[in-house]
Amino acid sequence: MTYAFDFASLLEYRDILLAGTLRTLALTAIGTFFGLALGVLGAASRAWQLAPWNRVFAVYVELIRNTPFLVQLFFIFFGLPSLGVSINEWQASILAMVINLGAYSTEIIRAGIEATPRGQIEAAESLAMTRRQIFLRVVLAPALRKVWPAICSQVVIVMLGSSVCSQIAAEELTFAANFIQSRNFRAFETYFVVTGMYFLLALAIRQLMLRAGDRLIGGRRT
Amino acid sequence: MALVRIDGLHKHFGSNHVLKGINLKVERGEVVALIGRSGSGKSTLLRSINGLERFEDGLIEVDGERLHAGQTNLRDLRQKVGMVFQQFNLFPHLSAGQNVMLAPEVVKKLPKAECESIARAMLAKVGLAEKFDAYPDQLSGGQQQRVAIARALAMQPQVLLCDEITSALDPELVSEVLAVVKTLAAEGMTLVMVTHEMRFAREVGDTLVFMHEGRIHESGAPDTLFTRPRTPELANFIGSIH
Repeated sequence: MTYAFDFASLLEYRDILLAGTLRTLALTAIGTFFGLALGVLGAASRAWQLAPWNRVFAVYVELIRNTPFLVQLFFIFFGLPSLGVSINEWQASILAMVINLGAYSTEIIRAGIEATPRGQIEAAESLAMTRRQIFLRVVLAPALRKVWPAICSQVVIVMLGSSVCSQIAAEELTFAANFIQSRNFRAFETYFVVTGMYFLLALAIRQLMLRAGDRLIGGRRT
Repeated sequence: MALVRIDGLHKHFGSNHVLKGINLKVERGEVVALIGRSGSGKSTLLRSINGLERFEDGLIEVDGERLHAGQTNLRDLRQKVGMVFQQFNLFPHLSAGQNVMLAPEVVKKLPKAECESIARAMLAKVGLAEKFDAYPDQLSGGQQQRVAIARALAMQPQVLLCDEITSALDPELVSEVLAVVKTLAAEGMTLVMVTHEMRFAREVGDTLVFMHEGRIHESGAPDTLFTRPRTPELANFIGSIH
């Protein structure tokens, strides 16, 4: 093999890599927050059959789960402007991630809600709590706790999937990698390093979220 | 006037006619024990009183709060009726104290400090003052059931429904729960309980109601019913449990 590795040549691009990493993290954080909020709403509508929202969310979930993320992103970024909605690459990326995570987390959280023992809901009903109070105070926290590991995995998938946003020129980590290797022609070194960075980000996000779940979702692990 | 009045109650599960016209009056301070074979409709009757089971025909009235067939607004009624379940049904993500505080806080909208003092008082009443911060999975079955009683009492119900509250307990834990119920009865709490503890029903109950095939087959003072059953079904039932 005659190829001479040159990882040092990446050093001059470290600011670009750092900026790309931070943007990937920002996309993921915003996408996760709103995506999970959407997922909770969707899961509640589906699990408790709140018409008409249960139908709306059922269609939405099937639509998103059965189409590629890249196409969803293109639809939002190139399709919406045709309808007169102007949207930049960051807005499109965030919207696509929220919509994507919203659909998957709807199904994940629904599983948690449906695993609530019937008797706990009856106990809350017998205390004269309303459906909304029962959902927010009795059902939601144990449901999230049960499915939290699955949610963490889905968030990691969404973070990795955000690399696709480079295709609409959102300057996140993969965009940075494409840019660097087009300048220094060191494709192997560049993608090797960026792959490693994604790997570490994924591990870090999963650990962070698992711990955050333990702290933020009320009560003890059951 | 009777605290609880049930008039002509009919209930079907599909084609199965489980309550066939129940009439029952419970006076304030009365302790009523519902007995009967499984499938006789006693749990369904109990669960109808706070709207956990819908019924097709009849009327239930608790302390002036009426419940008609098919009624969906149950909040006012449920504030007057407490319930304790066979499986305790504590909220697993909340401590014992938080379990008791929750309803006064979100339903009665009392200030948090007041809810906490209510919760401490109720836990003390069931002998678990020191378990305020314990979570359900750190408590024995008997302790969990006592927390569940405290949780129901915190809403100051007019009547407390007990649905086989000792059936899921290990034998050695039954007496601590029954002791709490006995204290409540002695303090004048109105109780309607479905129970298989015949000795307890006889000792604490003012009225025994024997249900058979969806009807109140026989009712009266416990001693009379146990010693001189009028119907062969009740005699048979009493014979089968001794």
